[in-house]
Amino acid sequence: MARTLNELRPVYVVGIGWHRYQNPGETPYVALGLTAIREALADARIEWPAVESSYVATALLGMASGRQMLRHLGASGAPLVHIENASASGSTAFRHACIEVASGISDVALAIGVDKRNPVRRSDTGIDHLADDAIVPFTHFALLTNEYASRHRVPVDDIARVAVKNHRNGAKNPNAQRQQERTLAEVLGGKKVSGSLTALQCTPVGEGAAAVIVASDEGIRRHGINPDRAVRVTASVGRSERVYPPGVGFDAALTRETVELALAEAKRSAHELDIIELHDAFTVEELHYIESIGLCPEGHGIAMLKEGALDIGGRCAVNPSGGLIAMGHPIGPTGVGQIGEIVMQLRGEAGPRQHRDALVGLAHMVGVGAVCYVHILERCR
Amino acid sequence: MQPIKLLKSQLYSEDPGAGRPADPILQGGRCRCGYVFFPMQVYGCERCGSRGNALTPQPLSTRGTLLASALVHLHADKSRPAPFTIVKVALDDGPVVRTLLADDSCDIVPGQRMTAKLVSLQRDDGETVFDLRFVAAG
Repeated sequence: MARTLNELRPVYVVGIGWHRYQNPGETPYVALGLTAIREALADARIEWPAVESSYVATALLGMASGRQMLRHLGASGAPLVHIENASASGSTAFRHACIEVASGISDVALAIGVDKRNPVRRSDTGIDHLADDAIVPFTHFALLTNEYASRHRVPVDDIARVAVKNHRNGAKNPNAQRQQERTLAEVLGGKKVSGSLTALQCTPVGEGAAAVIVASDEGIRRHGINPDRAVRVTASVGRSERVYPPGVGFDAALTRETVELALAEAKRSAHELDIIELHDAFTVEELHYIESIGLCPEGHGIAMLKEGALDIGGRCAVNPSGGLIAMGHPIGPTGVGQIGEIVMQLRGEAGPRQHRDALVGLAHMVGVGAVCYVHILERCR
Repeated sequence: MQPIKLLKSQLYSEDPGAGRPADPILQGGRCRCGYVFFPMQVYGCERCGSRGNALTPQPLSTRGTLLASALVHLHADKSRPAPFTIVKVALDDGPVVRTLLADDSCDIVPGQRMTAKLVSLQRDDGETVFDLRFVAAG
């Protein structure tokens, strides 16, 4: 009988670190990644040789870029593997680091996401399409925005309010790429991109790094890590797209089934979630996903947003980091950075972004629609 | 009469019938399990994994219902200069397809009936080819 992560031995996040997400620049990826890893090691108060295995998430750096970064920590000979899974690369790296520790193969493992903005190369499948070259991600989500607004009879201007909230959160996050509050008028008045989407409703793809160190009880004991700052991983689920009925949005349907499995694994309900970090590359996604997660019925997301229920201090803080829209989406780091934000919140160390009494957090990423990864983290009592 | 040149002849063809260019049909496929897909492919059925004789070509009508549209303001690929409009249409025959609207100035709303026609394009080498584009159904 197959088992879930939560049925194996306990796994805890014990260290988190970032290199700020930023506009594309001259900083080599090695410098970005090392900054995040050293911050995570310092946060855990361990030294590099304690790390028994590394998972390097990167989508745009090319083959085997991790070794050229990790060697500057002192080449320990520990195994390393690269993980590319589109936007969910970092979440996937985190899952596999957790699985390695939960299985008992390692006691301490690293998930590091690092990327710079490079051209995306998609392989030729041999199957042609009518006009896929004309439908980039922002147009895919512009279509979903039009569909959502039409189906639920909501003004597209209300959908843009997601960006106002997430820019407000990002303004308080020193690791965010965009750190400026924006009014609804500014969001709506910005450069038009596709359909009703404006530039400030779309994630700015940039560069950066995020690192997370996970450990077992044994690893925590052996390295003298402070157990009071450890955050338990109570669910880890990865899924890929199936065939859904015609017209059903696959991003939302895939999210729904992945979250259901994760909540069951953690023995939690959606209403117990205090923090959610989700894939808001485009404003409408946040509404789709909070509805798929089960915070509210389909079409009711706008009402929650407008009454402040998704704010820091509201019923459930959604994207307190600023999300992909404000914190940014450097691809490889994004899913790892979500875990870091949830850990800060559950430890009560999120400063001006702190959501009160945060006990349970959920991290969600989709990768080009086709894959979905969900993790649940809980403060240890 | 010479057949007209199609931009993507593996995806659509002229429905033998009245007028030039005639109305197009889409080159879809059907699996033994009942799953109807577009475009036709022989790698294997996305729903059940069957291949070989299980997969047969299935011409699909372009008639359908508009699910969504988006006027694209920015597009990096210079071979597709913006603005242009993308439509997402649920075909009466099953699959959902996405491609360009023939006329950006056409006022369309989700729920309305759509169909496709062949539209002439001038290629860089001066040759005229026809591509499938959607229009509001009359």
